[in-house]
Amino acid sequence: MIILIACTVFAKGASEASATGEKKTGTKNALLGPGNVTIKSVYQNVTFDPNTDLMAGLIEKSTGYKAEYFTLPAQNADEKLALEVASGVNYDIIRCSRSQFNMLLASNALMPLNDLLDEYGQDIIAGHTQETWDAVSDKNKVIYGIPYKYAADKEVASFIVCRKDLMKKAGITEMPITLDEFYNTLVTLKKYYGNQYIILTGPYLPATEKNENWKFPKVIASAFGIWGEWMTDENGKVIYMTEAKGFKPMLEFMNKLYNEGLLDPDWAVSTNDSVAEKFSSGKAIMACSSRTGCTTMSPAVIKNVGITYDDLSYISPLEGKDGTCTYMMTEAISSISVIPKSCKHPADVINWCHLKLQDQLYLNFGIEGTHFTYDADGNMTPNNPLFANERGNSYWYCNAMDMAKYQKDWPARIRKSEAQWQCWKGTTIATVNSRDHVFVDNPFKFMTAQENYSKFNSALHTSLNDFVVQVICGSKTVDGINMLEKDLAANNLNQVRAELQAYLGAK
Amino acid sequence: MKNKAIVSKKVGKDLSEKTVSAIAYVYMFLFSLLALLPILHVASKGVSSGEFVTAGLVRFFPRGFQLETLKFIILGTGFLPAMKNTILITGIGTAISMVTTILTAYPLSKSEFRGRKVILFLYVFSMIFYGGMIPAYMVMRTLGILDSIWACILPFAIIQFNMFIVKNYFEALPSEIEESAKVDGAGDLRILVSIILPMSTPVISTVGLLYAINYWNNYFHAMMYTISESMRTLQVYLYNLINTSSEVAMNLASGDGMTNLTSAGLVAAAVSISVLPILVAYPFVQKFLVKGMTVGSVKG
Repeated sequence: MIILIACTVFAKGASEASATGEKKTGTKNALLGPGNVTIKSVYQNVTFDPNTDLMAGLIEKSTGYKAEYFTLPAQNADEKLALEVASGVNYDIIRCSRSQFNMLLASNALMPLNDLLDEYGQDIIAGHTQETWDAVSDKNKVIYGIPYKYAADKEVASFIVCRKDLMKKAGITEMPITLDEFYNTLVTLKKYYGNQYIILTGPYLPATEKNENWKFPKVIASAFGIWGEWMTDENGKVIYMTEAKGFKPMLEFMNKLYNEGLLDPDWAVSTNDSVAEKFSSGKAIMACSSRTGCTTMSPAVIKNVGITYDDLSYISPLEGKDGTCTYMMTEAISSISVIPKSCKHPADVINWCHLKLQDQLYLNFGIEGTHFTYDADGNMTPNNPLFANERGNSYWYCNAMDMAKYQKDWPARIRKSEAQWQCWKGTTIATVNSRDHVFVDNPFKFMTAQENYSKFNSALHTSLNDFVVQVICGSKTVDGINMLEKDLAANNLNQVRAELQAYLGAK
Repeated sequence: MKNKAIVSKKVGKDLSEKTVSAIAYVYMFLFSLLALLPILHVASKGVSSGEFVTAGLVRFFPRGFQLETLKFIILGTGFLPAMKNTILITGIGTAISMVTTILTAYPLSKSEFRGRKVILFLYVFSMIFYGGMIPAYMVMRTLGILDSIWACILPFAIIQFNMFIVKNYFEALPSEIEESAKVDGAGDLRILVSIILPMSTPVISTVGLLYAINYWNNYFHAMMYTISESMRTLQVYLYNLINTSSEVAMNLASGDGMTNLTSAGLVAAAVSISVLPILVAYPFVQKFLVKGMTVGSVKG
């Protein structure tokens, strides 16, 4: 409600502004230059004070512009942003989420950037592909934001981490690649250890993935051809996960694992913390996890049970009997920097972003030889702890980037942490190098806000996850899928599908 | 013989008293554990090594004692400015609220005060019907106090409910005392300061405490009215930390903090030191909280 009223208030102010906009455009595009303007910027919430952080000083020194940083709260961030913008507070740039961008765009709150980028931001334009720019433009190709993409287009973001030392004792020397090998591995471990250990604990639900948080491991779903909640079949038709051929067999497989005692008996009620506790304390041999999860889990299990990183291994997307292996690419826009119409110095804001981009290497990675070095293959290696201490927070200040260059060096940021680097090597690098074909492009990766999708997808997701857990843990059988289908239909499945199909058709 | 009987009766009574006392002590000890153990658990997590915290091996005492997490919370995050802001808001806010509440309640407690009913109606009306967040935000903006401690203080400068408690208390005071003071030549202000307020310490301390708790715990207004990191209050800081702790821990995984900085450890450390001011102050204000249960109410 707050957003709605705030947007209405702003829309009124915005239309008034546009009535005189033509005359003002000339003065608004005038560049005052570094030292003459203080950039007021709004970012997402953070624990440190961004105005006193080392990075603020570095950016000021590099660009010549003084900048003030403000942050949105963790809760009610959308409402807060709507209130701030509607009240006409003079922010120059806002780094917002995808949904916040859509909200501000729908409220007519954003300044078109084409002319400004043409004049002051040629390198910014060159930093992204046309497809990415289209995602932040309207139908008339008017650009309203500067995209910031997630730095890894392909990442095995969710995987299974394993205690290789325990697997070796049970006679397992190779990590499973196929679903059959995986099943045999679990059975062997169960036979060898009995009830001494939980064989596989999970699920692990990364907070950032929201609608992709399923109650079954993605690396198992891959073997059944399942890579997304909404997918397209071979004819380009949009289907929901439950309509995929592999959905029922996947649930039957998971239920079989549960019935045979190969899964954590607490699977239905597990939380990320309980999964981490079981693996870190040495109670589980395998655990569903992610790069974030392993940051604390791996060092903890190493210390608690006295092993090394060599004793940990990772299971990447598994292959099905017919060689099926599909895993969704992680290419996505993580945030968008926008200039509100109330901004008085948009030319300087674009110039500031442009200058930051010019110094991208220094600002995000530091000085070669001091903060990082390049290995023989040209890969950046950070010098820790200096790199982590002095560039650890740089990600928070990013706006415009030369994505190709940034993506090349970005793994150095993972390398800050040995735990993260080990799982990155063991999953993403291994999969990209040997089985790159498993990554499936997400056709909806740059999708703009869709009304029905925004309204109904959460309910669909909840129904799906509830059913999945009930089948895995045996309180329902997979034959009850008819009930789920009815439930999904009642939650407007077909309206969402029609909308997504129309989106793909218009692409 | 008679004396013997009395002695034996007394011994019997002592025994039963002792038994009842023992049961009461055990009972209260167990109940106090219910309150104490969660605090011990959280405090222990804040000073335990990261590997024990992640593995869920910390119960009620620290394991692998370390102070890196506390040090990071105090020096590496916005904890100190947030604590400073909250203390300032609570201190200044409570003082302002007490002045406005007393100065409003006193005249409204006098039946001869003209327009009393209209003013009381306005207070009741505004207590029931709130203007809403956006108008309130616009008022703050127009006053030019957004992103300052005043935006967290002025909306609570007077809370109608508290004002009514004080007004009711003032009304119950014997009017003869005031009349005798007037005979001695005291003006309204002198009567309020020198006669009424000293007689009203129970209600003043209780309402002051209610205001202080309200300012200390206030989250929503601080979240909506401030946007600079340096203006965050303790409650907003804690909420933000809880939401971003895993990101912070991941980001620091190879910095100076290394493995001791875990998501759960950061939150536990921040929560532990956040409650310290309340823990220190509570024994001194506990009696006022109890009085607050009955003060201002109608007694039969």
